[in-house]
Amino acid sequence: MSPHQPPVFDPLRAQLQEAAQAFADGPDALAELLLGLVDDVDRAVREPLEIFPVCHHSPASATAMARRLREKQPKVVYLELCEDLAPLLTELRNCRLPVALQAFAGEVDGFPAEWAPLSVVAPITEASAEYQAIAYALETPGVELVLVDRSSDHVFQWEPRPAAGELPEDEESALHGDAVGVELGDLRPRFAELEQYLLHHGKVRHWSEWWHQYVELSLGDADHDTYRQVMLLIGSLFRRLAPGDVRRTRVDEDRERYMWTRMRAHLAATGTDPADCLYVCGAFHAASRVAEFGVHGSDTFEIGERTVTAWRYGLIPSSHAAIEAQFALAAGSVSIAASVWAKNLKRTGVQPFRLAGQAGSAKATRTAKTTRTTKKSITTALPPALPGPAASAAPAPVLPPADRLTGFLQRPPVLDALDEAELLTWSVDIVRAARRAGYLASTADAIAVFETSILLAGMRDRARPTPYDFQDAAVTCIEKDAVPGRRDVGRLVEIMMGGDRIGQVGYESLPPLARDVHDRLAPLGLNLQQRGVKRALLDLTGQPQLNACSDALWILRQLLPDGAARPIMGERELGRRSLQESWDLALGTHQRALIELGYEGVSIEQVLEQRLRRAAHGPQATAAVALAAVEDALRLLGSRRLADELGTRALYLLANERSVDGAPEVLGRIRRLLAHYRTSEPVLPGWIESFVKTGYAHYCTLLPIAFADDQATVRQLAAMLGFLFSMESLALSLGCDRTQLELAVAQSHPQEPDRTALLWAAQVQLGTLSRTELRERCDALLANPLVLPAYPRYLSGLVQALEPVPGLTGFVVEAVSNAFARLPDAVLLPWLPTLITTLRAGGAELAPLLTREAGRIFPGKLGALDAWTPPWLAESAPAPVRPRRTSSGIGTDQGSALLAAHPASCDALAALLGCEGVWQQPAAAGLALPARYPETAEALASLLLVG
Amino acid sequence: MSDLLRAPAELKYAAELDWLESVDDGPKPFSWRLSPKMVRLFVLGSERADGLDREVDQKWFGDRSIVERAIVTLASDRGLLLIGDPGTGKSWLAELLAAAICRNSTQVVQGTAGTTEDHIKYSWNVSMVIAKGQSRESMIPSPIMTAMEAGTVGRFEELTRSTSDVQDALISILSEKYISVPELTGEEGIVFAKPGFSVIATANSRDRGVNDLSSALKRRFNFVRIPVVTNRKSEAEIVRYRTEELLRRHQIELEVPPTLLDVLLQSFADLRASAAAAGSDDEKLESALSTAEQIGVLEDAVLHSNFFGQKALNAHTLASSLVGSLARREPEDLAILNKYLHGVVEPRSKEEGGDWPEFLAGGREAIANLS
Repeated sequence: MSPHQPPVFDPLRAQLQEAAQAFADGPDALAELLLGLVDDVDRAVREPLEIFPVCHHSPASATAMARRLREKQPKVVYLELCEDLAPLLTELRNCRLPVALQAFAGEVDGFPAEWAPLSVVAPITEASAEYQAIAYALETPGVELVLVDRSSDHVFQWEPRPAAGELPEDEESALHGDAVGVELGDLRPRFAELEQYLLHHGKVRHWSEWWHQYVELSLGDADHDTYRQVMLLIGSLFRRLAPGDVRRTRVDEDRERYMWTRMRAHLAATGTDPADCLYVCGAFHAASRVAEFGVHGSDTFEIGERTVTAWRYGLIPSSHAAIEAQFALAAGSVSIAASVWAKNLKRTGVQPFRLAGQAGSAKATRTAKTTRTTKKSITTALPPALPGPAASAAPAPVLPPADRLTGFLQRPPVLDALDEAELLTWSVDIVRAARRAGYLASTADAIAVFETSILLAGMRDRARPTPYDFQDAAVTCIEKDAVPGRRDVGRLVEIMMGGDRIGQVGYESLPPLARDVHDRLAPLGLNLQQRGVKRALLDLTGQPQLNACSDALWILRQLLPDGAARPIMGERELGRRSLQESWDLALGTHQRALIELGYEGVSIEQVLEQRLRRAAHGPQATAAVALAAVEDALRLLGSRRLADELGTRALYLLANERSVDGAPEVLGRIRRLLAHYRTSEPVLPGWIESFVKTGYAHYCTLLPIAFADDQATVRQLAAMLGFLFSMESLALSLGCDRTQLELAVAQSHPQEPDRTALLWAAQVQLGTLSRTELRERCDALLANPLVLPAYPRYLSGLVQALEPVPGLTGFVVEAVSNAFARLPDAVLLPWLPTLITTLRAGGAELAPLLTREAGRIFPGKLGALDAWTPPWLAESAPAPVRPRRTSSGIGTDQGSALLAAHPASCDALAALLGCEGVWQQPAAAGLALPARYPETAEALASLLLVG
Repeated sequence: MSDLLRAPAELKYAAELDWLESVDDGPKPFSWRLSPKMVRLFVLGSERADGLDREVDQKWFGDRSIVERAIVTLASDRGLLLIGDPGTGKSWLAELLAAAICRNSTQVVQGTAGTTEDHIKYSWNVSMVIAKGQSRESMIPSPIMTAMEAGTVGRFEELTRSTSDVQDALISILSEKYISVPELTGEEGIVFAKPGFSVIATANSRDRGVNDLSSALKRRFNFVRIPVVTNRKSEAEIVRYRTEELLRRHQIELEVPPTLLDVLLQSFADLRASAAAAGSDDEKLESALSTAEQIGVLEDAVLHSNFFGQKALNAHTLASSLVGSLARREPEDLAILNKYLHGVVEPRSKEEGGDWPEFLAGGREAIANLS
């Protein structure tokens, strides 16, 4: 306190001292507290740099701020906001409020890795004092706006990140994601009991309601000194009545030290007179008692270094509901504050500041109109105003601030008079809204709501019903036993009172990536900035220029959350593009996601490339993941270079894999990729050849182990065999050895029935087991009552074997039919669900194979069924007659006939090999047969003889 | 008062009401005995900040705004319908309101399947009609009609249990505020309601669909929904308050240890949580697990210990009365309780000890006896 100034608050001090003595039997803590409050106010009021205490979402603060700014016209405005957010403020012009300033760090350096991504948001609404300060500073030439609070980096340095809480389910409330919120002017009791006490005795339900009734109303038309002193008093009260949370107090005080240090540095650097400045901060911080407080405070605080984490900045859309959810305010309170602000403006005639070009709602544009005239008045006022501020500010420090507190504290609470017209409008509107929402509400209800509101307000000691009283009344009179539609009356009232307003970041303030996306999607002719779902129809043959849009949309689908871009018709697979596509686009609704994408890169292709690379190189990456990335690179980016790079990575991962978990996916993907490259490129890329070679050797090596390993599933084994068999020709052509596969199969000795069946199928494919032998084995199983119960498991194995050995389909149909025919119900029925689930899980490929084959084998009509013999039963007679094919495949009739017809090549080969042979006349095929099977001929002869 | 098993609120709190009336200087609607603010104070109790010389007990526990909305409705020209789960204190609130407003909470019509229009309007004293003919003298007015004539509050309990035609008889009473008696002529043929007349009805939300209210009747009532108390602190308060009252009424000197009260509250909270998580009706107890149910369990346990036990309440008795009160269906309810004892109480008794092991033993024994 400067000694030369008269003690303004002494009478109040004396009065409070007396009160403390009267109530607490002598000077003690109470007196100390009460006098401390006055000291705090006194100290802040005497500070040469004018402190303007504010409270968030307080229309009274905003009005007082607008008034003060016009009156004082400071040259420098210091604002309690993270200093690193400063460059964003000019971008606010392009946005529709509420929006939030965001600092975002995707990768952290200097913080624990699990904290990533870090995000700080500072929502800005129109009805706030900080917006008034920002708009004034940016719109008035020669005024500097300085943000003085700690940087986003310090937010996390000072306050350990709390465990990730659950996000609100509702879409609007989740607009801020899991960001940490910072807000100017947080003013709320710091301990629950005090708040409870105030609410209880104020006969209100929410803090916002208490604030409205006991502070807003009282301060609504108060002059600047009263406003300032009362706000300082409240700040000081909450500060002194805070519980001893050491960490929180330390952070608060550090912030104050930080801000004052910054301000002093700025004053020293620019040589500005403190009298020309205004410091806007929360009332809580205005009543600070740290040593660094004030222009003449000590310079002992050292501002810590930021970490090396790279922060990115942007604006994201916000909404009233999101702000309420983030800062634990009562639902609807921010909306109500906004409507009170609009009403205050009309009533008091205060001209608010507004950024030029600010987009807004209908209500806001109406204000904008007045603002435009306002602006003119500013501009006309400004030139003479330049010397003006000095003139108007000059007497301010000379005049000692008068004591406004005593009068204020002695006054009874201000009661707002009943505004009948307003209440009538509300009552009629709510009934109309309720009727639209399905309620059976009528004019009688409007009357009842009107009457009940007044009665309720009367019971709660106020003449004018608050929106909350009105809400109670509406619920009482209109809500019955059930809610007919989507919204109940309480919610309808909230909507009616202003509803949720959702902000929008304008095109100019979007990061380059988001702008680029909008530019590229412009040919669609949709207003994608708007919220809501838009349907886009793309005729890619008729309008080839839309192909670029389609490409961008497919990438966005990959990058953005579900619902932002959703294809309704059309697909983009490897080598397959649709001629027509239709999309549901909700980019306006998911603006935050798009903006946050902008922090990752400058174009969506770049972001996708980064993400694919990160996925393939991540610690959890497997060959299957890397192959998926390759597929995406080809499908979405068409980038051969990236595909090759990722493919090489997949090759490396496969070679280092020790399990076969990913085998089914690897098989599916490599098949698709091979098919793609074979059709689209003259030669296969090097990596895919190496992949097949390595995969062949890799799976051959792992096969015997996997057959014996309980962890490996039959599906995985089938996929391994599938890889080996279907890639065989390619692998052999690249120099792999088939013996390796034969050995691997020979070394496999599974115990489980299903694996055994799978191995049999593999042996059939390799030619080491004939179909007849396989059939015999299956018959033997069915004939043996001891293994009969296990038969279904063999069948399961055979069904899985369709993947690697599709040629066995006919046999599997036979085996399944046999099972149906011969298995007892006790074994068959429990197995049926397993069969169905296997077929389902095995993918769409297996079931159609089986049904097609069954359709071919079984008769199509019921009548034919009686006369029908299954081919495998009919086959048993002619089967032995068929000449056995040797495994080498030579010596067939056709072959020998060819040789005889064109002997030249054979002779040449024989001469080359040095063989001398004589051509034999090939015996007729029929003649050889009786010699080999004499029984038939003899039986026929005897029959003929008999005849 | 002492010779009544259960005195109505206006008798029980007669002294308090008299005193409140004497200090009440607020505006009183119609013929109300107390101003709306005093009615609220009577129901919700006084605080130091009210600046009264005498402390007024809290009699109904719940959200302040519910009481305010109910009082305001009575001051308007609509009826008040308190709707909620069984045991949430609807009837008690109705009784307190009626007692505070008109000092008469006994003008009650009980809604049942057998309630007829006569119960709501009037009926005749047959012998008197034979002797003297139809006149106002031989007419037996219903409690609602009596309330109309006196300008007081009539009560209708369990409105949704009565059939639709009976319910609809209320419509004209609530809108025109008179009952015409076609049997009589002239001035006697019509009974007008005096200012101050209102109806408090209660309805059980579990009965929804039995006899749904017509929209015409719904329009004439303001619905105030009374939620199940889930706030641990206020529930403890209610249970303690009601139990003390009960003990006083039965003249039983018995201490309810606070730890046992905690056990009771915790077990109800657990069972409620499991009911909320249940998929079908078979998986949850038939009981609504309301606060009244808790009081019932405690009352049962107290009476049992007093007359058959060692004059001290223990966890064993509490558990058996819990099982006894809540097991209504066999085997579903028993299975749920069994599951609760094994799945929740057993681990807790091992971890926390205290009264829980005894509670577990008591519960098991009771289930064994029942099944």
